Amino acid sequence: MTTQPAAVVRSTRRRPPATLLVGAALVLLVVLAALVSFIWTPYNPEQAFPADRLQGSSAAHLMGTDRYGRDVFSGILYGARITLLVGLVAVGIALLVGTPLGILAGMRGGAVEEVSMRAADILLAFPALLVAIMFGAVFGASTTTAMLAIGIGSIPGFARVARSGTLQVMSTEYVLAAKASSQSAFRIARRHVLPNIAGMVVVQCSVSFAIAVLAEAALSFLGLGTPPPVPSWGRMLQESQQFLGTYPMLAVWPGLAIAVAVLGFNLLGDGLRDKFDPKLNGGR
Amino acid sequence: MEMKFRFDEGALMRRSSKKFSLAAAVLAGALSLTACNAGAGSTASGEAAKDSVTVALTGEPVNLDFTTTAGAAIPQALMSNVYEGLVEIDQEGNIQPLLAESWELSEDRKTYTFKLREGATFSNGEPFTAEDVKFSIERVQSDEWVSSLKSKMDVVDSVNVLSDTEVEVVLKQPSNAWLFDMGTLVGAMFDPSGVEDLANTAIGTGPYTIEAWNRGQSIELAARDDYWGEAPGVETATLRYFADAVATTNALQSGDVDVVYNMQAPELLSSFEGDDKYQVLEGTSNGEIVLSMNNQEAPFDDVRVRQAVMHAIDRQAVVDTAWNGYGTVVGGPVPPTDPYYEDLNDVYPYDPAKARELLKEAGAENLDITFTVPTRPYATAVSEIVVSQLAEVGINAKIESAEFPAVWLDQVFTKHDYQMSVVLAVESRDVLAMFNNPDYYLGYDNSKIKDAAAEADAADEAGYAEGMKDVVRTIVDDAAANTLFIFPNIVVADANVTGIPANSVTEALDLTNIGWK
Amino acid sequence: MAIRLLVNLARFAVTYVAATVLVFLFMRAIPGDPAQIALGVNATPELLAQTRAEFGTDRPLIVQYFDWALGLPMGDFGTSYVTRQDISPLVLDRVQVSLILVVLAMIVALLIAVPFGTLAAVKHRSPGGILVSGASQLGVAVPNFLAGILLVVVFAVGLGWFPANGWTAPAEDFGDFLSRVALPVLALASVQGAILTRYVRSAVMEVMSEDYLRTARAKGLGKMEALLKHGLRNASIPVLTVTSVQLAALIIGAVVIERVFVIPGLGSMLLDAVGNRDLLTVQSVVMVLVAITLIINLVVDVLYTVLDPRIRKAS
Repeated sequence: MTTQPAAVVRSTRRRPPATLLVGAALVLLVVLAALVSFIWTPYNPEQAFPADRLQGSSAAHLMGTDRYGRDVFSGILYGARITLLVGLVAVGIALLVGTPLGILAGMRGGAVEEVSMRAADILLAFPALLVAIMFGAVFGASTTTAMLAIGIGSIPGFARVARSGTLQVMSTEYVLAAKASSQSAFRIARRHVLPNIAGMVVVQCSVSFAIAVLAEAALSFLGLGTPPPVPSWGRMLQESQQFLGTYPMLAVWPGLAIAVAVLGFNLLGDGLRDKFDPKLNGGR
Repeated sequence: MEMKFRFDEGALMRRSSKKFSLAAAVLAGALSLTACNAGAGSTASGEAAKDSVTVALTGEPVNLDFTTTAGAAIPQALMSNVYEGLVEIDQEGNIQPLLAESWELSEDRKTYTFKLREGATFSNGEPFTAEDVKFSIERVQSDEWVSSLKSKMDVVDSVNVLSDTEVEVVLKQPSNAWLFDMGTLVGAMFDPSGVEDLANTAIGTGPYTIEAWNRGQSIELAARDDYWGEAPGVETATLRYFADAVATTNALQSGDVDVVYNMQAPELLSSFEGDDKYQVLEGTSNGEIVLSMNNQEAPFDDVRVRQAVMHAIDRQAVVDTAWNGYGTVVGGPVPPTDPYYEDLNDVYPYDPAKARELLKEAGAENLDITFTVPTRPYATAVSEIVVSQLAEVGINAKIESAEFPAVWLDQVFTKHDYQMSVVLAVESRDVLAMFNNPDYYLGYDNSKIKDAAAEADAADEAGYAEGMKDVVRTIVDDAAANTLFIFPNIVVADANVTGIPANSVTEALDLTNIGWK
Repeated sequence: MAIRLLVNLARFAVTYVAATVLVFLFMRAIPGDPAQIALGVNATPELLAQTRAEFGTDRPLIVQYFDWALGLPMGDFGTSYVTRQDISPLVLDRVQVSLILVVLAMIVALLIAVPFGTLAAVKHRSPGGILVSGASQLGVAVPNFLAGILLVVVFAVGLGWFPANGWTAPAEDFGDFLSRVALPVLALASVQGAILTRYVRSAVMEVMSEDYLRTARAKGLGKMEALLKHGLRNASIPVLTVTSVQLAALIIGAVVIERVFVIPGLGSMLLDAVGNRDLLTVQSVVMVLVAITLIINLVVDVLYTVLDPRIRKAS
């Protein structure tokens, strides 16, 4: 699990829109799978059918069955829901905490900046995986602790992006003018800063989402994520380890699902970055 | 070369014919391999006349002191290898002499007189004498031992040294269980000058000493040249510790380890069965997979609901699905190696209709329960199929996972805050520990068995077995808990390794007979 | 500049102390009494009280905190009541293992990323460049543990070229060390290399659009030549920053790989200690990990200050 400070990747040239399109298509695929799982899965993904265990792909079971005779395809569909849920909540936490923190730091400077950036520094020293291990120990492994941990781990990224964006906006003439006309700080933030950094923040969302998907998979793999019997891609992968020699497809499907989701969000992020004004993508 | 594996024949017979032929094939393969030793020697471990062996285990000891620290990993590494008792439990579950050459039991069955082996020494050079026996037994009773198991020594009234090689142990009342317990870790013999730093140094009379402990990786045992008995099969035995079963078999396949003991993922066996470079042994253990129900809380305070659970679960299907068919279905909480074992499968046959009927009678249709599952491979595997079978009779069990050991011990074991759980009960002859104590987490009302159990313990050997059988039958009739199956002790090893103790009858992993063809 | 360095140091100190408090308090919230876990089944209240006193977990929190926190900078992490051993030497062993693993992985990752990233930037319109970009996108999308499992299945279990897992210290047997470290390093480096390739690519592309490079090319230098002469040094600054940030992330991120390859690093020590409720070890390992991250950040900040005074404006 590694972090990717989005701000460092800069593009100076418009990429073909293919990145954006492919990314959006892959993300859409994952979202569709999750939505479909709400109304229909071929089988109950948690229901074991011991008689049908460890079957290959067939018309009855598109992706075969696992050691308990559960339908893998149903598990993959349902797992998309868990993956998206974890991503949404984690990114949501990071967005709602990190962005205001960054804006505040960028606008106020001085002591406020120092304190909020120190807070971000402390958080930065606790990567998501470390927080998740600690959370898992304290609250027990669950989807909730995984979401919280990944969310907390993603806060500094948002704070830094928001702060550097804010710093640039604050030096523009219209903000200086607004300041001169003694508009309130809140109004400046709402009218000038937010709209101008929104693009960068959206990009950060997409990139953080990809990281969250990987993080959730790693946590479930370590047994610190979603507990059984709820299907999660990371745990499906972990459970398939015993069958690599005999039924390798059990590992291929969840592995592929994770790769599709991560690739989708990364490409989407790259595409969006090119779409928004690249000049605003200032580094640290 | 003599085959040193001792299978539990009973367990072997009970297996399906497919399994039987498989095991037979493994045996045959292991035997025939003597002939093609050179051909099989492609892995690092295959060379002839090796004087070391590496055994893969899951779960490293946290320290070396089982007198104050719980956990099976410590006695597994140390008992029989570093520490020895007056007696030992053999592969069939029988009591055999070890540091005591022989013993006599008085008429009133309360006084044991042990004649000790001469010439045995501790690894610090001190001779083993009757004083050490007195010291060791009294130490268990003192505050030095901080372990729940110390209660097994409560029955001892006094220890009297008669001479250097003779010691008399007087019990408060006759006890069949006590002598057996002396073959487990509470019976380990210590030297008074060797107990200062038990957590980091182990000084016993056994054939091995601890040569090195690379924490997080392995414990190296070196054979003593001043051991009183027959020298062990190899000079160096290394116990390597892994986090999960997949890593152990990977290490076996790449030649890093020679034996994988107590393998925790039977699904992995398919790549070893039928490969004549390897041998697969399925021994029995004294571990029961117990589907526990909180007898003191609704809904399982109603015997009909518990009986419904007994009928609702197809135990053979559980073994087949969760543990790939390895394991013995016995129907009661007693492994086949115990003297009071009997097959109790007929008491509650798989009968979902009967289960639904019982639930209806109890007014517990469409029951919602929480199923607290410890985070262990066997528990997760078992729980998924159990939930599925319970659903068919109208019991909706919601899985809640509890980290093992920490959270499970705290929540289920100590606070009894659970409805249903599943756990591997590994202690030997633990049926009374589990059911003859209403404060135990199972909460079984022991009024019906209390006196019978005490009577059995005080009776002679035949009376002990018969009396205990009655006790066990009462427990099963009351559906106190659902013993799903006896946990198999699965061993996968290089085909040339001999003398692996296939059965796990006590906590110990006895390395002394392990050697090479 | 001296003031600047002092400020960096002061920030480091404040962050560090805050982190010790956070970690300590957090660890006290872990459910499950360490004494209970040490005793296991059937612990009686008297035994529990006796064990708590022995562990020192019955003392006031503030006493326990200072006892621990003041020892940390001296390298004295205390004695674990679970293993009954001094924690410091154990942690030191594990730190070495983790650092060797992670630094090697990072070197291999850079060896992959620099040439491929540069290639992808210089030839960003050609099939080769697009292929590299595509491959790096795919590489980033693969969880490193999946890469690790696949490597074991193919190269250890299948082909038998390498041991499947385990660790040997380089000083003990260097050949064995190399054969054991190869697969985990490859697993970490393949994913890390893909991430860095993307950074190298964009850094180089940015440099290529700078005026001085255009001038160089106008003077008749080839694309590659101009880049080598003028561009790489400038491109290397952001890449080095990312590398050091990633290095810190990788030390904890490697825990999954340590599990797959049974490597006795800090990560597996942490997971084991959590399982055993070895609080003192858990908080010490966490603090070591946090301290490593903070030190790397400090070094990066200091280097920035030293190398590029203009950075003051942005930071």
